[in-house]
Amino acid sequence: MPLDDDLEDNPTLTPPPPTTNTATMDEGAAAGDLEEPEDVPTADFRLFASTYSKTKNISAQTIRKGEKDFESHGTRAQQSALDASREAMRDVLSYTRVHHTAKQGGWCRGWVFGDWWREWPEDWEEMQRAKGGKGEGEGKEGDGEKRVLPPLHVRDRVVVLEHSNVATQTLGRAVTGLPKDKPARGREWLLPEEALYLVERGSLDLWWPTRGIEEIFPADGSSPFTNTATKPTTTTTAGEEGEGQEEDEEEDDEYKYGFPLSLQAAYALLIGEDGERGKVSLQKFQVFSNLKRAGYNVIRAPSYSPPIPDDISATQEKPKSISEWLISCLPSSKSSAIDHPPYGPLVPPGLYRSYSTIYNHLSLRPSATSQPSPPVTPQSKSEDSPFKIHYHLYRASTKFVRTRPPPPDFYLSVISATDTSIPTLTEISSLLSSVPADLPKQEWLTGGPSRLYARLKHGYRNVLLAVNDHGVINYMRFAKGGFEREELFRGLDQRVEWSNNWKAGGGKGGGGGGGGKKSGNNGRGSRGGRGGGRGGRGGRGGRGRGN
Amino acid sequence: MAENMTTTTMSQPSDSPSKSGEVAPTSIEPAAPPAPPRPQRVPYHQIYKLPAPIRTFPLPTFYPSNPLSLFHLAVAWLRQVLLPPPAEPSVIHEGIWDPDTRSVHVKDPKSIRALWEQGFYGKGSLSRSEPNWFKRELTRRGLDGTTVSEERTVSRREERKQAKWERAKAELEAIEKQKLEEAKLNSETVNAAVPESLAVESEPQPDVPSASLPDPVLSAASAATSSHAVLTEEFVPKTVAHGHIVEPKPPVGPLELLALPNSYALVRGEELVISHPEPATAKETARKEFKPPVGPIELLALPNSLADLVAVSVVSVLSEDVGIDEDEYTTEDQLEASALTNDEPETSATEANDTTSSVSPPLSADGLPDSQTTQEDVPATPERRKSVRFSPTVESTTFQYTDAASEVKNNNGSSDAEPISSAAPVVQKPIISNVEPVVLSEELVDKEHFQLAPEEAFFLAFGLGALRVVDPVTKAPISNEELLTKLRANSYFPPRSVDNLGPEDPFLVQYAVYHHFRSLGWVPRHGIKFGVDWIIYQRGPVFDHSEFGIMVVPSFSDPRWSEYAHEESKKSWSWLMGVNRVLAHVLKSLVLVYVDVPPPPVFDEEMKKGGIAAALKKFTIREVMVRRFSVNRNR
Repeated sequence: MPLDDDLEDNPTLTPPPPTTNTATMDEGAAAGDLEEPEDVPTADFRLFASTYSKTKNISAQTIRKGEKDFESHGTRAQQSALDASREAMRDVLSYTRVHHTAKQGGWCRGWVFGDWWREWPEDWEEMQRAKGGKGEGEGKEGDGEKRVLPPLHVRDRVVVLEHSNVATQTLGRAVTGLPKDKPARGREWLLPEEALYLVERGSLDLWWPTRGIEEIFPADGSSPFTNTATKPTTTTTAGEEGEGQEEDEEEDDEYKYGFPLSLQAAYALLIGEDGERGKVSLQKFQVFSNLKRAGYNVIRAPSYSPPIPDDISATQEKPKSISEWLISCLPSSKSSAIDHPPYGPLVPPGLYRSYSTIYNHLSLRPSATSQPSPPVTPQSKSEDSPFKIHYHLYRASTKFVRTRPPPPDFYLSVISATDTSIPTLTEISSLLSSVPADLPKQEWLTGGPSRLYARLKHGYRNVLLAVNDHGVINYMRFAKGGFEREELFRGLDQRVEWSNNWKAGGGKGGGGGGGGKKSGNNGRGSRGGRGGGRGGRGGRGGRGRGN
Repeated sequence: MAENMTTTTMSQPSDSPSKSGEVAPTSIEPAAPPAPPRPQRVPYHQIYKLPAPIRTFPLPTFYPSNPLSLFHLAVAWLRQVLLPPPAEPSVIHEGIWDPDTRSVHVKDPKSIRALWEQGFYGKGSLSRSEPNWFKRELTRRGLDGTTVSEERTVSRREERKQAKWERAKAELEAIEKQKLEEAKLNSETVNAAVPESLAVESEPQPDVPSASLPDPVLSAASAATSSHAVLTEEFVPKTVAHGHIVEPKPPVGPLELLALPNSYALVRGEELVISHPEPATAKETARKEFKPPVGPIELLALPNSLADLVAVSVVSVLSEDVGIDEDEYTTEDQLEASALTNDEPETSATEANDTTSSVSPPLSADGLPDSQTTQEDVPATPERRKSVRFSPTVESTTFQYTDAASEVKNNNGSSDAEPISSAAPVVQKPIISNVEPVVLSEELVDKEHFQLAPEEAFFLAFGLGALRVVDPVTKAPISNEELLTKLRANSYFPPRSVDNLGPEDPFLVQYAVYHHFRSLGWVPRHGIKFGVDWIIYQRGPVFDHSEFGIMVVPSFSDPRWSEYAHEESKKSWSWLMGVNRVLAHVLKSLVLVYVDVPPPPVFDEEMKKGGIAAALKKFTIREVMVRRFSVNRNR
């Protein structure tokens, strides 16, 4: 635990902006647009890269990529390259890393009060939303859209911060709407995974209180420690003075209110079983910490989210051309009540004018409007399913305000690789139905056959699964497929007609499209095939010209 | 068929046009322009025109702006009314149920072609997909000038192999060049060494080193520009001589032990060479004499007895002669080539005090600052390093086992002046066309039949009515109902009795998926090659690569299933990751297709009411697209 005071008397470094209440905090976070709170690793990497560029002219890119040598081939160039990279690694590893002090925004102190919120009503948020949530919402809603406020998870918040700093700006929440006489009013409270992450990062000094919370954080807002950061109007000079006083005072009663906890103690206090109040499971913590290190903003998802139904109107397609409209008007093509003979053939022998008719006969799917709803799941069954949304993810580039976060970029579920198998239909569909629809891009949706693969691969809803195998995390994206929306057979008639015309046209009209195709097909098999496919689509234009 | 082409076409080296320009005249290029006139190839979109074995008779489109089109419409309609075409599907193919392979065989060549071309059903029993064994066989025997896709695949693989070889050679050349440069630097720092001991021991020309030694700079300069003959000679004496200054150490290390001569043949061969009287090119052959026998040809050419030994060595000396002369031509102009040819004697030499010790200090990588000392560690014994060899002759896999090794070498040597491209004709030729045309005494019969997977057969019979499956013994047609029962029973192993069948039969689950994608217009084919259940093509294997691999996951979500015994497979995450990895490697994405199987009461009721057509509607299909998510790329 870095308690070094080496840098404490460095006057060049200014203390962090004084923040005591959440309102100023949020403004600061929004204005500053902190995208990457992890400055230390970045600096290290830059150092790493610069070490390289000094010795050899290699960019950071080449460090990661490039050819591997699997055996020494006896040249000195190889040897020296190896030596240089080892030397760079050694340099980087031997770099002395310092944790900045509290006043420089390096770390802050947090106190573990595991049971403070135990009696908090579980449905407090619903109550709050029912009575005051509306009024709270309309005041700040500038952009007009109704944002769903993130749940506070008050009962799980176990660590209270003395003050905030850069690292905690996207973490922790204050519980608002408390009576005036409640101690630690307006303080930031951290979830266990947030606290542990900060401890591991060296940004949080975790203390175990030996006095009650009333003494450490009195209700009147004053602080027993003359801590500079808690004073709202501290300037640089004032900070220096206060620092002197603080040192004097803490000389004698530094451990009056509690004692610092080791990293081991922090793990013991904060890691627990799944579902334990005030603790986080190791697997979730590993995923959380991995994502935070990767630069994401992560917040806990609500413990229960109702299924979000599909927007039917978005899926309805309008016929694009007159011919399609005509086809759709034909009585046979849309007939949902095709009477199938019990043992076929589904396509009765006869005369067919289009392949759409044939494929409509073949279809054994329920019609598009009455798509099967996700199988009805008993509530109890979905409750203990491990497939639930656990975290909301925000890209580092997404502007993130923790009290009023935008809609998440990703929805993540943490899954144990050893305890679970791949999801059953019930599990995956209830998981997918708990996230809002995420349609493919508009240009993909309207892009026709050329964007077919993009549409299909994107899917219509998606979740991320972090499959955690004892700390090795594999992220998978599961998306709801939309194959039934892509009726490939609609294009068959035009293709066949084009092929017929090509044959009839021979040298003259259709040859325009066909000429290119011939050359394409004479080439290598695969390329010729691709060319053929493209020619099929281009052929429609050719047909239009011919007629 | 199209799958294997992705990688080959993509990894074509950028300089391949120029290379292929060189080798084209000697190789058999399938699509080469100077090929003899051939009947115009029918484009794929004509061959595979129909998406299903059913023809359509569309009426001409009516355009209000063009009154004539109304006339066209009327004529076409009248003709179809007055002379109605036969009801589609007009041709009902015949397939024979084969219980042993659990597939439906089709023997009629017309049906085979039709089923393949109209919807890509089935596969040839002797082919990967398209049934073209007969054609392949004809081509192999030289009776047919055309090519088959397998042959093109083979040639493309050979091309790829060649490209890899070129790449590896270039890398090796770069290393050799680097070694040369470093050796040059070394030679500038090394003091004058004593050349006598070396000369006495092995090198027949003691005058060359002594002449070049006093001026190392000059020798280095000449090494960089001249051919390998001069080049190697410059380096041999110096370092070896240097090695003789120090006491020869006993061979205790692993490398030294490896470097010891381990057969009598080696020692004997060495003597032979030295005592071999040869005028101008004697020294060349001496250095080129013995390659470590690593390739198959060399292994075959190894002497079996002492008597052979003498003869073989003489023969190979002669054959190497030819090769070396050509080496000299090419190495005159380019340094790169000289580096290449330089590596040949290096890796193949068995001669004592060879160039190996000078250009490649084998243990210099162990971090000793003075690489001179490491060079001294190499004893003055014949060295047999374990090395990757890039001999043009080894590359070819097309040699006949009856061929003598020297014969092959001679062929290569005389066919082309350049050693690299001399390997090319052999490489370029597809294996099958390398055999000389044999005049057939008997008629060639097509021994291939066509296999339809159970799902394909049932789709053709039940969905389209274009297939009639007959009993293998009685030749009596099997009704669709019977066929379904047979297929369901046979989807278990051993086949289950009819009473034990249920809605969760593997055949039903797989067929539901097959039918789902077929009826949407996709072309599903079995995906066993890619470790999945199905792969689906947008148009067909000859047109495009399939973009999706499908894994079928039967699902029993209905609560009524709890009353019935069923096997819910619990697939592990590692299984999913593995499947996904394999698919990602072939540029496909994974689709988990969940089939929600109706519980037995529902299924049975539907079967009674509306047959399998109604029952299949109760199988709900839901696709889930699975993809790996990279945290680092999405932030």
